[in-house]
Amino acid sequence: MSDEIIQIETPFQFTEENRLEFDKLMGRYPVKEAAMLPTLHLAQKQEGYISPAVMRYVAELLEVSLMKVKDVVTFYPMFFEEPVGQYVIRVCHTLPCALRDCKVVLEHLKTKLNTDVAAETDLAKGTTSDGRFTLMKVECLASCDVAPVIMINDDLHRNLTPEKVDEILDNLE
Amino acid sequence: MVQERRILYEHLDVPDINTFDVFRQYDGYKRFEKAINEYQPDDISKMVMDSGLKGRGGAGFSTGLKWSFVPKDIKPCYLCCNADESEPGTFSNRYVLERNPHLLIEGILICCYAMGIETTYVYIRGEFTLGKKMLDAAIAEASAKGYLGKNILGTGLDVDIYTHPGAGAYICGEETGLIESLEGKRGQPRNKPPFPAVEGVFKKPTVVQNVETLCNLPFIVGNGVEWYTQMGPTYGDARFDPPKPDPNTGTKLYCISGDVNKPGVYELDLGLTCTELIEVAGGLRGEEVKAVIPGGSSAPILTHYELDTRLDFTSLTLAKSMLGSGGIIVMNETRNIVDCLLNIMKFYAHESCGQCTPCRWGTPWVRDIVQRIADGKGRQSTITRPKFGIAENGRWGDTGETEEIYEDLDLLESVANNIANVDTMTWNTICVFGIAVSWPAVSYMRKFRPEFEACIREGKLVTLSVAEATMKPEENYAYQQRIIPREME
Repeated sequence: MSDEIIQIETPFQFTEENRLEFDKLMGRYPVKEAAMLPTLHLAQKQEGYISPAVMRYVAELLEVSLMKVKDVVTFYPMFFEEPVGQYVIRVCHTLPCALRDCKVVLEHLKTKLNTDVAAETDLAKGTTSDGRFTLMKVECLASCDVAPVIMINDDLHRNLTPEKVDEILDNLE
Repeated sequence: MVQERRILYEHLDVPDINTFDVFRQYDGYKRFEKAINEYQPDDISKMVMDSGLKGRGGAGFSTGLKWSFVPKDIKPCYLCCNADESEPGTFSNRYVLERNPHLLIEGILICCYAMGIETTYVYIRGEFTLGKKMLDAAIAEASAKGYLGKNILGTGLDVDIYTHPGAGAYICGEETGLIESLEGKRGQPRNKPPFPAVEGVFKKPTVVQNVETLCNLPFIVGNGVEWYTQMGPTYGDARFDPPKPDPNTGTKLYCISGDVNKPGVYELDLGLTCTELIEVAGGLRGEEVKAVIPGGSSAPILTHYELDTRLDFTSLTLAKSMLGSGGIIVMNETRNIVDCLLNIMKFYAHESCGQCTPCRWGTPWVRDIVQRIADGKGRQSTITRPKFGIAENGRWGDTGETEEIYEDLDLLESVANNIANVDTMTWNTICVFGIAVSWPAVSYMRKFRPEFEACIREGKLVTLSVAEATMKPEENYAYQQRIIPREME
């Protein structure tokens, strides 16, 4: 038996800036565990997704079991457990958007990016081969008056048509 | 034509209203100052009670009454502002957060003063990144000006507001789900009682209020109860003698989307009819109205026969529907109701939190049945059965006719009613998500049964004309049962 540990994951640690942000969060709640969601958001912003190393790190920071972190990460659709593209495209497909032809937008995005729609357990399915985009369907984005809408990372795009989608994607770079 | 009455949204389009200085020019924080200078905390609670303000989040529960349940001797007490706006068809809170965040802060301050609360968490849904940014900036600005933090304006009042991002789960809009999520757990609703007012976040008394409800507070304090109660109808609850006043006061931010020419948020007095609202929103896009969802996707659907229903809490409840969060979705004659139901059921199957078995297994089951019908594979029995209805003697019974059996429609109703029974209003789940699933499922099926039957019969998705697709009022149980409330004199 050797004492060597096989490295199966890249270690994770907050950057100094994020660590300060995290310390600020700590002052807000009477129990540490309550900072779970904001901490995970912060970690995901840094790492791109919630890797097992991130979960371990967050569990240590918040002094909870790893299981509890995993429990939360699997519950919320906004946390990704596998790497995603540089741009995450969320297409709303709930009723008000469906009434305004979100299908056309989705189909257009599928052909344009040449990818399928990501499944919740299989994000790679919706990620382009160059790793730039991840296409996923989401439920109501609360912008039904300007439907159909998509979100690209943090930005909402309204009243979409295939032409507008082209324009937005061309301006991304 | 009904006129918009902008109160909450009055200054929404003013440039830079999100900054403290501009907000201040439009009476900003003056109502809060009035509250702390002229009134005792109990006076504010009484004003809110007298104003008849009902929670705008969905349940329409009296805000004053909710506040009265909070024990005064247990401290600390928390305020959770529910900005997890995820009900399909609702989008009014987003605009408040993104454009006029100081109004929300002022509302929170008044609530905190009235209830003796020192810490507020604003639970913002994770997708509202801009809204969170704007609110965070406004909180920082208000703190710098001395309106938040310790010893506000030298009165000894301490209030801190923190924003807390959600992460895309619809169920966290349910108040106990929100509390669980705020504590850093899965957003699975709790059994009630204890209600949050007694034991909420961190096991302390908690007031949970929607953004819109809190934004009403500055105006109630600033303009007085009398001014506020002039807006909207007050009905007499006929179950009491003499009729007990049932206020539907104030304005509502109606969010209208779907097949109208000018979708958007319209702030109107409570109590206008569906037809009037569609007119305000630029009229129908299409030839005729097929259906209207009056309160977000969870609400039972209204047919074109029911467009005279007034859109307020009491009228819609008595019409066997609900105002909910005020998200109105209009559908024109080209829409297929089976397809619409399928869309909504996919939503609920995806968003069920998985805590209670009837909901966890029932929602995908209902979705699969509707999917089957939409695919043209709906099941129909080869035998017929006696048809029950209003018989010759005018009573419910055997009509002497026979009807075909549509197995899948019976199954749909049975599964949905076993998640939550829409006729007895009892649910087999912890939270009201169950009823939010079975309400649309059963009401769409009952009110547009001819369209469902046609899809099964013809083996494909068939869109019937409005007149053909809708059950006639005399055969529509919900329509027969509806009561039109009377206004108090």
